[in-house]
Amino acid sequence: MTKSKKIGIGISILIIAGAIGYLALGNFGENLIYFYTPSEVRSLSPDYYGKKVRVGGMVVNGSLKVVPNTLRMNFELTDGAETIPVTFEGVPPDLFKEGTGAVVEGYWDSGNVFKSNMIMAKHSEDYMPIEMKRAGVEMPKKDMIKSLQP
Amino acid sequence: MIIEIGYFAVIAALVVSIAGILAPLIGLKTGNPAWIRAGRQAVTANFILISLGCGSLIYSFLLRDFSVKYVVMNSNSRLPVFYTVAALWGGHEGSLLFWAWILAAFATLAAWIHWKSHPETMPYLLAIESSLTVGFLALIIFLSSPFERVFPALAEGMDLNPLLQDPGMVFHPPFLYLGYVGFSIPFSFALAALLSGRLGEEWIRATHRWTLFSWIMLTFGIIMGGYWAYYELGWGGYWAWDPVENASFMPWLVGTAFLHSVMVQEKRKMFKVWNLFLIIVTFSLSLLGTFLVRSGILSSVHAFANDPGRGVYILIFMSTVLILSFGILIIRSNKLKVKIEMDSVISRESAYLFNNLFFLIATATVFLGTLYPLLVDTLYGTKVTVGAPYYNKVFLPIVLIILILMGIAPMIAWRKASMENLRKNFLVPVIAALAGTVISAIIGIRQIYPLAAAFIVFFVAATIISDLYKNSSYWASHSGTSLLTGIWKAWYHNQRRYGGLVTHIGVLVMILGIIGSSAYKLEKTIILKPGDEFSLGHYSYKFQGLQDVQGINWEGAEALFNVYEGNNFIAEMRPQKRRYSGGSQMPTTEAAIYPRHMGDLYLSMTDITQDGWITVMAFQNPLIHWIWYGGGIMGLGVVLILFKRKRRES
Repeated sequence: MTKSKKIGIGISILIIAGAIGYLALGNFGENLIYFYTPSEVRSLSPDYYGKKVRVGGMVVNGSLKVVPNTLRMNFELTDGAETIPVTFEGVPPDLFKEGTGAVVEGYWDSGNVFKSNMIMAKHSEDYMPIEMKRAGVEMPKKDMIKSLQP
Repeated sequence: MIIEIGYFAVIAALVVSIAGILAPLIGLKTGNPAWIRAGRQAVTANFILISLGCGSLIYSFLLRDFSVKYVVMNSNSRLPVFYTVAALWGGHEGSLLFWAWILAAFATLAAWIHWKSHPETMPYLLAIESSLTVGFLALIIFLSSPFERVFPALAEGMDLNPLLQDPGMVFHPPFLYLGYVGFSIPFSFALAALLSGRLGEEWIRATHRWTLFSWIMLTFGIIMGGYWAYYELGWGGYWAWDPVENASFMPWLVGTAFLHSVMVQEKRKMFKVWNLFLIIVTFSLSLLGTFLVRSGILSSVHAFANDPGRGVYILIFMSTVLILSFGILIIRSNKLKVKIEMDSVISRESAYLFNNLFFLIATATVFLGTLYPLLVDTLYGTKVTVGAPYYNKVFLPIVLIILILMGIAPMIAWRKASMENLRKNFLVPVIAALAGTVISAIIGIRQIYPLAAAFIVFFVAATIISDLYKNSSYWASHSGTSLLTGIWKAWYHNQRRYGGLVTHIGVLVMILGIIGSSAYKLEKTIILKPGDEFSLGHYSYKFQGLQDVQGINWEGAEALFNVYEGNNFIAEMRPQKRRYSGGSQMPTTEAAIYPRHMGDLYLSMTDITQDGWITVMAFQNPLIHWIWYGGGIMGLGVVLILFKRKRRES
């Protein structure tokens, strides 16, 4: 192979890789979704109002109110320190209920309420917000085993 | 007692596999074949010992021995026997043991199959496979043992995650693991080739079948995961770019690149270092895939419990594998200088080169999207996720280019394609593709990606048909028989080639399924009371009412729908909502799927209120079946290659 052919292959590879790299990185920023705790949501600056984010927390017991015969519901999400009100419209996953962890996607509307139409929990019952995972999943498991013992 | 025997067997296996690393190396050093034979006995013994370990766990499950923690966590007394056995790989600890067991089985098989034909590389192969076994067994024994007991014993277990109580979920992980672990054999052969200095095409020929087998198992595993997600999760889709799905997709992408580039080395003795690089990356990504799922370091919906000790161990294991294998590759790569060079940009070599390039770019985009959140979290403590739109936007163009190459590469000449060659092979397909695209546009396909896909599908299909036609008419005129006999002869003389082309047809069918079901999907979420009707597409659905249903270990409600096409009644559909009676009390949604030629009707009941109203998600997914059919055709193609007749070397 001659030198010019080599350069030819090299340049075409560079151009293709560059184009795809541009495509990849260009799409990266706008498709990043930030993941917050309720406390972080409370402290968001107004610039972030209306921007799509995810929030992870526990669904507060007794807070879940379903609007009858609609797809709307309201509940509160807490991380222990702060609690935010959430309005949700859509179909919640099977695992969604009070007193468990949930991750909701939506936006913090004018600093008052979190509006969401997606609750994440597609595959596993072990799913929970990452902070709570850090706090330890083994502990609840041990408690669970204890509670089953005669 | 039984579980302790299993535990002891696995501990013994760890000791034996350490011996299995040392013995062959000593044998190599001293030139004493007895030590190398001891290495083979070690991997065989390992297989028996780990089988005992798995056996004792399965036995404990069958006995419903709720003094074993893993049994408590993953089963209960009402769990059907079928799922009780599958519970072996239902949780974190058991699935690692299951992985180690497949590894030992494959190592043993490879040791006995290739013993005579590869005496020089065998000691290295044994030592490498044993080292991998050590890595897994140490993780199992010290950090995630499935053999732990609970005191006092419990009366009842928690239950297997109801989502896993499904045939799709029973078979999906083993197939993935067969793929992941299968790649360990080409990987070990590659490293053994580097270490022994036998750097010819030998290792590639030896591992040809292993590679194909692993690749198709991984393919099936991924497709089954998609199929399971489709009918069990009730969200109407099959792929969500979830980090754990990506974890199995990355080794598949690089494995596919490897599968193609080895052909260049076989035919043209090129790409030597490249092939070694690819198989190392493939197997490393297989390990990464296992660990990403099983360590829970990603905030995935699949992620299992996180344990810092486990995470650190896994990090050390991964880095050891990577540093050692790339280290060996770099040190030895100076021996791999090849004098043969590429003759032209327009040649089959360069088509394969670009195929590889795009598969790697595809992998890199998935890798970036999957691990970027982890990186950001580590560096800045900010948590982000990368959404599906990123993958869809970046991935689709890359896939289309790969598909075009899929049509070009098998038909273009090696070394340097002449204009004559190009015209002969591609004039008809290009015309066919243009005609096909125009017809698609006329019958109403207007979006850009479906049109591009139509062009490519017609193009690739036409290249395959015209190739088969040319070859069989050659054989027909050569032997003076009919075209049909010609097809048979063409087939017989090129089994590997046509097996590969059948696999390509499978890919086309699958692409049609993916494009059809994503671009032309209809969906509706609606709340209904008994007697209500709604329509979607050409179909209308009447909700007749609810009734109670019961299974062995679950109870639930079933909604009855009558489905009409126009005024004609065509089917009854019964989506269910189940609640399993085990400790998890977890509700699951059983979608009702009514297959039609051009697409599925899909109903999923997501909520029931006390006064009998229900929430239903309805989907119409055109061509979605083609995805599964495509997978089947791909499998057929691989089977045709694997069982090709041996012909005498000419």
